[in-house]
Amino acid sequence: MTQQAPGVRIDGLTVVYKTPAGELPAVREISLDLRPGSITGIVGESGSGKSTLALSLLNAVQPPGRIAAGSVEIDGLGDVVGLRGEQLRKARGKHIGYVFQAAQNSLNPLKTVGKQLLDLGRSHGVDDLRGLVREAKELLGRMGLDGARVLDSHQHELSGGMRQRVGIMLALVLNAHLVVLDEPTTALDMITQANILKIIREVHDERGLTTLVITHDIGVVAEVADRLAVMYGGRLVEQGPTREVLGAPRHPYTKGLIRAIPRLVGDIDEARALPGRPPTLATVPKEGCVFRERCALRMDVCDTVDPRAVADGPRIVACHAVEGAVDVTVDVKEHA
Amino acid sequence: MITGTGVVKTFKQRGKVLGAREVRALRGVDFTIPKGGAASFIGESGCGKTTLGRIIAGLESYDEGEILIDGQSMSALKPKQRQPHFRKIQMIHQDPYSALNPTRTIHQTLYAPLSLRARQTGRSRSWIDERAAEVLSLVGLDPGTVLARYPHQLSGGMRQRVVIARALTVDPEMLVADEAVSMIDVSLRLGILALLKDLRERLGVSVLFITHDVATARYIGDDGELYVIYRGQVVERGAVDTVIADPVHPYTQSLLSAIPVLHGLEQPGEQPVTPLESLNESQSDEGCLFARRCPFRGERCTTERPLLRLGEGIPQEHACFYPERRSVIARPMSEV
Repeated sequence: MTQQAPGVRIDGLTVVYKTPAGELPAVREISLDLRPGSITGIVGESGSGKSTLALSLLNAVQPPGRIAAGSVEIDGLGDVVGLRGEQLRKARGKHIGYVFQAAQNSLNPLKTVGKQLLDLGRSHGVDDLRGLVREAKELLGRMGLDGARVLDSHQHELSGGMRQRVGIMLALVLNAHLVVLDEPTTALDMITQANILKIIREVHDERGLTTLVITHDIGVVAEVADRLAVMYGGRLVEQGPTREVLGAPRHPYTKGLIRAIPRLVGDIDEARALPGRPPTLATVPKEGCVFRERCALRMDVCDTVDPRAVADGPRIVACHAVEGAVDVTVDVKEHA
Repeated sequence: MITGTGVVKTFKQRGKVLGAREVRALRGVDFTIPKGGAASFIGESGCGKTTLGRIIAGLESYDEGEILIDGQSMSALKPKQRQPHFRKIQMIHQDPYSALNPTRTIHQTLYAPLSLRARQTGRSRSWIDERAAEVLSLVGLDPGTVLARYPHQLSGGMRQRVVIARALTVDPEMLVADEAVSMIDVSLRLGILALLKDLRERLGVSVLFITHDVATARYIGDDGELYVIYRGQVVERGAVDTVIADPVHPYTQSLLSAIPVLHGLEQPGEQPVTPLESLNESQSDEGCLFARRCPFRGERCTTERPLLRLGEGIPQEHACFYPERRSVIARPMSEV
């Protein structure tokens, strides 16, 4: 129980999927650090590779996909990419908790939540099952639910928000300190979403976790994450402290994405859709910048050369247009 | 023009396990959508907004009340006689992936309703092709490239445009868009919203927008009306920007408070409202429907139901005994 929040270092990770057109990368040469005790949010549209990246943390990419290159170093576990069989099974759940996309629908409809909890405990060789149930009740109580009632319920007796909390409980109950949440609030109502985000933040702080949140919704990341990473076409195009990135985005895609969010006040015509559409696995350009087709700052070099990820203090941007002239006029303090 | 007065809908379940159950989906709703006008229904899932939309589109019956389409009472007509009236109202569903037949090309999809129209109006076959190309251009698609394709060859945003084009083939007077952008990629959402607004302006089609995402409701146009629905009752109704900027009902305030704040870009509202407990359908129907969750409830609220009314110098209608303006929505940093 004296575990600490682990740090995670993803380095040069490439995940490919086998298709009739050969092996195509869904995630390409991604390097990302999750600092111990931080909440990192990954934002991307459909097909950006964000879920594939998250699955790589568990080394759970399913065929026809495979991790082709790179490493995922997790403190206390080593390189997850090298783990196999039993080792890997034990790491999942015990060290890494995962709340799947649509966790509302990932429960077994035939078993009560309590029985599923016991299954989880047995498969991980937990001796003190009573203790496990106590822990689960406590977690559920912490999230504002009646633990005993929930454990005795089948999934159809629980609302979407309640199931989502059950998913979070199952991810944490084995005392995992690295938690991955894939689209934790999709299909939930606004009020429930706000509630779940608050719970994620609080549980994160109380238990000392390292948390990764995957979402298509910048608002979700803005609410919970310390650090924000933006994915596009399998690449990380920008990352940095959430407030700084939102306050002064540098990559043209990040700028466009933030501009495309309908807001509650102000001139609605200021918000604009990004022209074009996100690339799919088959249409991602093989060389050069993945975003160039939709980019207003496109230059000749973008067609042929992959932009490097350049660090400037805590911020990292991969764009030729930015690389030449890093925007130094941004005063970060202003947004703190 | 479409008006409804006192529309009531109750779903009855004859459950074998749980016994007979009644769900009051709509409890006497009034609405008016002028020709070429716009309205938006917002609320949590289960509030009855979709049911109301389906009733307006003629896909669902209602138990009490009256719906008039261009002055013609629907209750007075036999089902067969209602058809030509409801044809003027076309529905655009949430999921563009399941709304199109995957085995038909876009041409075939558009051909079916158009050939019916051609037969009714005695037009030639060449008119069908012309009209198919025309509706596709109206929704911003290039007929040359799209017509021969199957739905799976198009992106989500393009598919939703095809769905809208299909609705336009029958020259509707109103489009009912039920969560029409919630499954579209963030960077493309605005394009669809702008399209609906554009169709309104160019063709004079009225638009009914059903959503839980309040910010998107603004895109129907600033002359549009916003209806906030809670447990089958309209609790606040007024001009879109008025209700969003100065909500007076605690439920509307809770909904708006729950919208994620883009920290770094925005400053959260000063008086956010959080409901006391989560939505429970089995709560008693006595008094104000929101009373149990309302942080501001008074004596009167638990015994008497407030009706939607104007008054107390508030520009919008509200169903609350103690209406009060509260600053709940996030404002851009630049305005603070």
